[in-house]
Amino acid sequence: MSLAIETRNLFKTYKSRGGQSINVVHDLNLQVERGEIFGFLGPNGAGKTTTIKILLGIIYQTTGEAFVLDKEAGDIEAHRKLSYLPEKPYYYEHMTGLEIMEFYASLFGIKDRALCERLLERVNLANDKNRAISQYSKGMQQRVGLAQSLLNEPELIFLDEPTGGLDPIAHIEVRDLILQFREEGKTVFISSHELSDVERICDRVAIINKGEVVQQGSLDQLLAGGRLEVTASGVDQGFADALKKDDYVVSFSGDRLILDMPDDGDVNSVLEGVLAKKGTVVSVVPRRKRLEDLFLESVASDNVAKGRRLFKMTDKDAPQAEEKA
Amino acid sequence: MNAIVSIAKTTVGEAIRRRVLLVILLIGVLFLVVAPGLSVLTARQSYTVLTSFTLGVIQLTSAVIAIVLTVYLIPNEIERRTIYTILSKPVQRWQFLVGKFLGAVAALALMMTLMTVTMGLVFMIMRQGSGMEALGGLFRVPLMFFVQMSLLAAVAVFFSTFVSPIVNFFLSGGVYLVGTFFNPLFDTFSKNENLPAIVKGSATIIHMIVPNFANFNVQNQVINPGAVITNEATYYLQLVAYAVFYVLVFLIGGILVFDRREV
Repeated sequence: MSLAIETRNLFKTYKSRGGQSINVVHDLNLQVERGEIFGFLGPNGAGKTTTIKILLGIIYQTTGEAFVLDKEAGDIEAHRKLSYLPEKPYYYEHMTGLEIMEFYASLFGIKDRALCERLLERVNLANDKNRAISQYSKGMQQRVGLAQSLLNEPELIFLDEPTGGLDPIAHIEVRDLILQFREEGKTVFISSHELSDVERICDRVAIINKGEVVQQGSLDQLLAGGRLEVTASGVDQGFADALKKDDYVVSFSGDRLILDMPDDGDVNSVLEGVLAKKGTVVSVVPRRKRLEDLFLESVASDNVAKGRRLFKMTDKDAPQAEEKA
Repeated sequence: MNAIVSIAKTTVGEAIRRRVLLVILLIGVLFLVVAPGLSVLTARQSYTVLTSFTLGVIQLTSAVIAIVLTVYLIPNEIERRTIYTILSKPVQRWQFLVGKFLGAVAALALMMTLMTVTMGLVFMIMRQGSGMEALGGLFRVPLMFFVQMSLLAAVAVFFSTFVSPIVNFFLSGGVYLVGTFFNPLFDTFSKNENLPAIVKGSATIIHMIVPNFANFNVQNQVINPGAVITNEATYYLQLVAYAVFYVLVFLIGGILVFDRREV
């Protein structure tokens, strides 16, 4: 099956005021398969929105190729089958929710009020369809955005920060809608900073930093090869001290020892040691990497990300924090 | 076509709600209403002066509205990011630009109609129902002003594809002023055999590039009984054709620039 989105050696270069060339997108190669939810991640200024704009034909690449639904980016035929919800969308405020829907429908040549009403109902705005957009909350505006993005029954939906700034209820509603899109067989391309959402709903992700893809693949692949968490009781501090070595994090929660170790470490000898000490193995739980960790690792060359990491709790800090808890 | 009409309709909807435009329109209408009270001349002089004054008010107000309305057409859409959702639909950039232009022209038509109707009412009240046939002729002036303002809107739309609203305000205003007051002069220079070739050539180029907005001011022909137009239909049709030509030139220029513009 052909790809929903493909970019080959994509570059977007701007000239700075001093005449210096700045690559906002640098040799970007993306492959998004049909029917998947694809997370497009990166720190601010990484080139995410620029890439989306290129894929939509709103701006043009400097060199390289970009294909959307088998057509060159910006092709009007492809636009009939895709939709886009920008970050912080703005609508003509004098219009009502229903009028906005009818306006966007007309851009597809669709004259179907019932469809517009049905979609507003789908995003729980049926009762507010005749209210002016200016009276809508941010969450309601985002839901109108999602409703308008479904007018053409798109095969591919671009969502730029779809849950940004929403309250928890609106956040969950939007997330659930995105999951419904996948059930309907649509391809969803999400640019987001909400890593927990991305981890929960995306099939594959690409992480970009300074315009370059630094990680791309399925979440199962990217987050695999993680850690094991061994919990045991009835062992003393001396045993815990003996376990401490590189990449082994030992802590106590009450009388329980918690060992966080690499999954390719010698877990059998640890378990034998616990049993030899007349202790009890409570659990051995494989723990996959968190997307947040992968993200930080991936953009670690970025000084800003490094700086941010200083404020994060490190593995070494974790046991003390748990003990305090 | 659907997309152009829809974009034009929303442009009208936005325009008639823009407070700054409504304030300018209100000032224009107020001037039209109080105009009769400003005249202290004799009845005959009073009619001529009043006609010139009210038509002048309509022209000036319309020109300001046309510029203020159009200089923000494209930049506002980019700044508010509404353009992204529109261009991600099957809408070509030229359709977007033409839709915005037609919407601006339709909004101008509405506002100019209001001013023209106000002027008509003022004259009807002053003349107490007599001389209505003269009033009919008078309406041709605002009609030609409308053609003139549509051309001005096309100029502003063209500039709005590549300059900021403030710069556009002065550029479009400058083109309008040059085209209204100096273009006839450049025309004269371009035909004057006694002038040096460089002056004549420059005058010809400016005369060709800058539309002659003065063409559309048909006040004299309408107010002055001595000024006779031999074939009115041809005369007005030529003026409209001249405007349509320049509108197309500016719109095509705008489309070419906007098509490669990064929004």
